[in-house]
Amino acid sequence: VKKFNFLLRLIIGGWFLYFGLLKIVEPSTIGPWQVPVIGQIDPVPVPTLHWDTPDNFAKNIGNFRMVPRAALNLMAITLPWIEVLAGFMLIVGFWKRPSALLIAAMLAVFLVAIGQAVYRHLDIRCGCEGTTGGRKVGTVALVEDGLGFLAALWLSFWYKK
Amino acid sequence: MGGSVQRAFLIAVVGATLGLVANAVSPKRVPYITPPVVELPATDFIPLDEAKKAWESGVFFLDARSPADYEAGHIANAFSLPAEEFQEHYGPIAAMITTDMNIVAYCNGLECDLSKDLKKQLNELGYAKVRILQNGWTVWTNAAYATSKGKQP
Repeated sequence: VKKFNFLLRLIIGGWFLYFGLLKIVEPSTIGPWQVPVIGQIDPVPVPTLHWDTPDNFAKNIGNFRMVPRAALNLMAITLPWIEVLAGFMLIVGFWKRPSALLIAAMLAVFLVAIGQAVYRHLDIRCGCEGTTGGRKVGTVALVEDGLGFLAALWLSFWYKK
Repeated sequence: MGGSVQRAFLIAVVGATLGLVANAVSPKRVPYITPPVVELPATDFIPLDEAKKAWESGVFFLDARSPADYEAGHIANAFSLPAEEFQEHYGPIAAMITTDMNIVAYCNGLECDLSKDLKKQLNELGYAKVRILQNGWTVWTNAAYATSKGKQP
């Protein structure tokens, strides 16, 4: 069970860390294809990270029609960093229970957001995975988030001292 | 329990602070309060009947929706230039249009911003005569005008 929990922490934490980062820097500046290969003949330039604009993510959040317009930017500015921090802490194992709780809470909110969007047949992109591209929000996202929520909840109970 | 909830809250506060700091130093910073929607002037839009005439006279139509939506069905002879993936798709389109050409951009849905985004991006590149067919795909298909399916020709 310990190993399983460790794995679960890596998956859930990594999920939040990665997709949080995607919203902070331009997606094109991170990705496996840009990792420099040692010993390769042509030196691959080390990727330089560029800030992404929170505009796109703000628009994504707005599409859910749940948050008043004035608050969208503030959410788009802060939410990715909260995701990254919580994901990072869950992975390194510092404050496991609090970070798992926080992730569970975020996923609960996302679940409600996606659920109402599916229910209202809103044709939107969920903004779950960075800001460009992205899928139409639907039952797949709902199931993903639901599983993530259960996993995070499980972790937060397991690490209860 | 109480301690963990407080700590979770603390993580959220610290994360939010990081975000605020990051936005303050980012070259792409945005205002903390989202500015209200700027309504485009009516002249930025083209009514359906005019759009139909323009289409018949060979005016360039651009589909601002995703490539997948375009493939599933689009206004006949329209080309795909997804507003959200502008950079990736702009090249081939640039070869076909000039800055003095009339262009009609459309997406779908009354609240769809994609065609507005596309217009904005094109305007910045000097294409001054871009107009929006609002709720384009829906009004076009409702009028039973010509459509086609499939990838970009």
